[in-house]
Amino acid sequence: MYGGDEVSAIVIDLGSHTCKAGYAGEDAPKAVFPSVVGAIDQMDVDESDNGEKNSASAAESKNNLKNDDSDKAKGKRKLYVGSQSLGYRRDHMEVLSPFKDGIVADWDIVDSIWDHAFRECLLIDPKEHPMLLAEPSSNTQQQRERTAELMFEKYKAPALFLGKNAVLTSFASGRATSLVVDGGGGSITVAPVHDGYVLQKAVATSPIGGEFLTDCLMKSLESKGIMIKPRYSFRRKEIRPGEFQTVDLDFPNTTESYKLYSQRVIASDIKESVCRAPDTPYDESAYSNIPMTSYELPDGQTIEIGADRFKIPDILFNPSLVQSIPGMESFTEIAPSVRGLPQMVVESISKCDVDIRRELFSSILLAGGTASMQQLKERLEKDLLEESPQAARVKVLASGNATERRFSVWIGGSILASLGSFQQMWFSKSEYEEHGASYIQRKCP
Amino acid sequence: MEAAVVDVGSKLLKAGFAIPDQTPAMIIPTQMKQLLDDGSVTDNSPSDNVTVDPVVRGFIRDWDAIEDLLHHVLYSGLGWEIGNEGQILFTDPLCTPKANKEQLVQLMFETFNISGFYASEQAVLSLYAVGRISGCTVDIGHGKIDIAPVIEGAVHHIASRRFELGGIDLTNFLAQELGKSNPQVNISMSDVEKIKEQYSCCAEDELAYQKIQYSCPVEKHTLPDGQVITIGRERYTVGEALFQPCLLGLEAHGIVDQLVHAISIVSSDNQRQLLENTVVCGGTSSMIGFEERFQKESSLSSSAVQPTLVKPPEYMPENLTMYSAWVGGAILAKVVFPQNQHITKGDYDETGPSIVHRKCF
Repeated sequence: MYGGDEVSAIVIDLGSHTCKAGYAGEDAPKAVFPSVVGAIDQMDVDESDNGEKNSASAAESKNNLKNDDSDKAKGKRKLYVGSQSLGYRRDHMEVLSPFKDGIVADWDIVDSIWDHAFRECLLIDPKEHPMLLAEPSSNTQQQRERTAELMFEKYKAPALFLGKNAVLTSFASGRATSLVVDGGGGSITVAPVHDGYVLQKAVATSPIGGEFLTDCLMKSLESKGIMIKPRYSFRRKEIRPGEFQTVDLDFPNTTESYKLYSQRVIASDIKESVCRAPDTPYDESAYSNIPMTSYELPDGQTIEIGADRFKIPDILFNPSLVQSIPGMESFTEIAPSVRGLPQMVVESISKCDVDIRRELFSSILLAGGTASMQQLKERLEKDLLEESPQAARVKVLASGNATERRFSVWIGGSILASLGSFQQMWFSKSEYEEHGASYIQRKCP
Repeated sequence: MEAAVVDVGSKLLKAGFAIPDQTPAMIIPTQMKQLLDDGSVTDNSPSDNVTVDPVVRGFIRDWDAIEDLLHHVLYSGLGWEIGNEGQILFTDPLCTPKANKEQLVQLMFETFNISGFYASEQAVLSLYAVGRISGCTVDIGHGKIDIAPVIEGAVHHIASRRFELGGIDLTNFLAQELGKSNPQVNISMSDVEKIKEQYSCCAEDELAYQKIQYSCPVEKHTLPDGQVITIGRERYTVGEALFQPCLLGLEAHGIVDQLVHAISIVSSDNQRQLLENTVVCGGTSSMIGFEERFQKESSLSSSAVQPTLVKPPEYMPENLTMYSAWVGGAILAKVVFPQNQHITKGDYDETGPSIVHRKCF
């Protein structure tokens, strides 16, 4: 039993796009940084004529016996975490994500992300703080055990708790029963929560997340001839006093993944500032004469965005729109099985018990970065009123503050970990040592 | 009695009573010498005094040393009497761990028995010193650089950045460079520090810096012990290192680029206001030519709105950048203590050190 009194717990939400970490009891995370890392394979530095190796093949690097002694970190590759390190362009640096299809595939990267959050962002010693981690609503037992192992063995945390994303969002809004629509970077998850427990059989996910929409926007702009130049690829020079010129810089050793990452950062800023969910389903002809909005790219180029402003967000509601964007043909193979957001909500609710359906319909919570899109709440409400069965009172709730929506999972964790009644629910180190990692299933339902 | 304001930096400690438009009464180095008081006189090398740095990279690390230092400052320096201690305001750098704050509060109430305490972040205070409540502070200190956007008096933690790079790294770098160009001469660190303060400057822009690399006027400087050294382009390299950290071997962008990146994370409604109210403070920023170079780099930065430096008000003393956090603290002390928003002894006795998180932000 771990009774936390004055020691502040740490809440970490490792999402597919950003990692949020901070102290429990606060109203916003202190450390927010991308959950991708830059990796340089050490062998690339020595064998410069070998071309660029895909540094995800850590196994391959272990087989190479040349660099036995110069072992930097894990699997002979150096990892760069955090927006400051990632923002600096390095030769041969690949951008890797720990996630694959929504679950953790590379634990070394997760380890380095946590390490960065503790040692460089929050400046704390993990030994002294209980940890509350947010996990996906349908996490496997193996993943949870692995998390517990890593946290207890490496970081020697005194106590741990794994809270499901949907439950934490529910707490953040003060409800024990609700339907949580979590629009994150990698996917959208619709999960009903009843009395603090996720109803697993009704959880639905869709691969159309924020990053997917960013890619669509990028491809759409490319097809119109607009090239987004990454920040490192140009510089402004003063040719005469008061007159500036943008000069292109060429770095031949920059990896494709880094270039894509830098472009995505800019494209997602465009998406966040310009895109809005349309009030009615997108129609090519209706929106062809829409007034354009201008946006200034970092290199000084001003671009005009018209119909895309509404087309991209409408993909959430009508995934088949993707086929009309040139360059996204690879998506069409899985297109038939992907449903739009209102359909997902209705399907999810219909898999639940009849008694709670009314309550779920009247408390639909929006959370996550993608869900902070303007007008999304109104559009979803409108569509649901049409799709839902009669006599159902549909209410979509989203906190007005965009920051709160983005971090609602983290905020829920912060609230939970600072509650007095929660302190006895921690999975403590001594329990881990006594019963093993599988005990986590009992302690963190 | 006026409240005391103390700004503990990595190199200098600024302390004084809260009288806003004056320089702090005491500006003393934080570095201390520890006398080995084992009583006996050893016959070999006399007094291997150990220098103690209680503040490392902006954070207090050696609590015993700080206690001694504060004892000297408060009782001998500011003239407090034991039994009649007053109120005190401290400044915190960015990202101060919660444990540090609690320990400081504990030290002040239990060892020094003060009657009131308040702590505030240096970034916010530096803005108050120039008469703003929103803007972006770039604090280039001895041990660290903090870039913090502040909106209506609250630091935007998510966008702020902290670098463990500061005056001390520049001093080490200068020592290295001088060692290369003057191989016969042995220079102590404190002399290098003085040379840095006297000679270092920033080139006008990158092109000018490149030119200096090839040809630069050389000056002769006489050290206190009589040795003569030549200083040439090293003076410019020190200033350039802030704008091109790769000179120091670090993989990072220069100060202005970091500022622009940090602000791009803040929501676009506030970006203009933040960039137009940029305050640069800290000892290292008082280098000759730094402000001009900063403005020059700002005009080259890839951003729709360019950072503009704020001019300090005329009634503020010269050299405000050296202690703007202290001056801001003095301004804040005049507001917080009379309105009883600080932590009183009663509050502390009731709740314990964790009250600092609730009352001071």
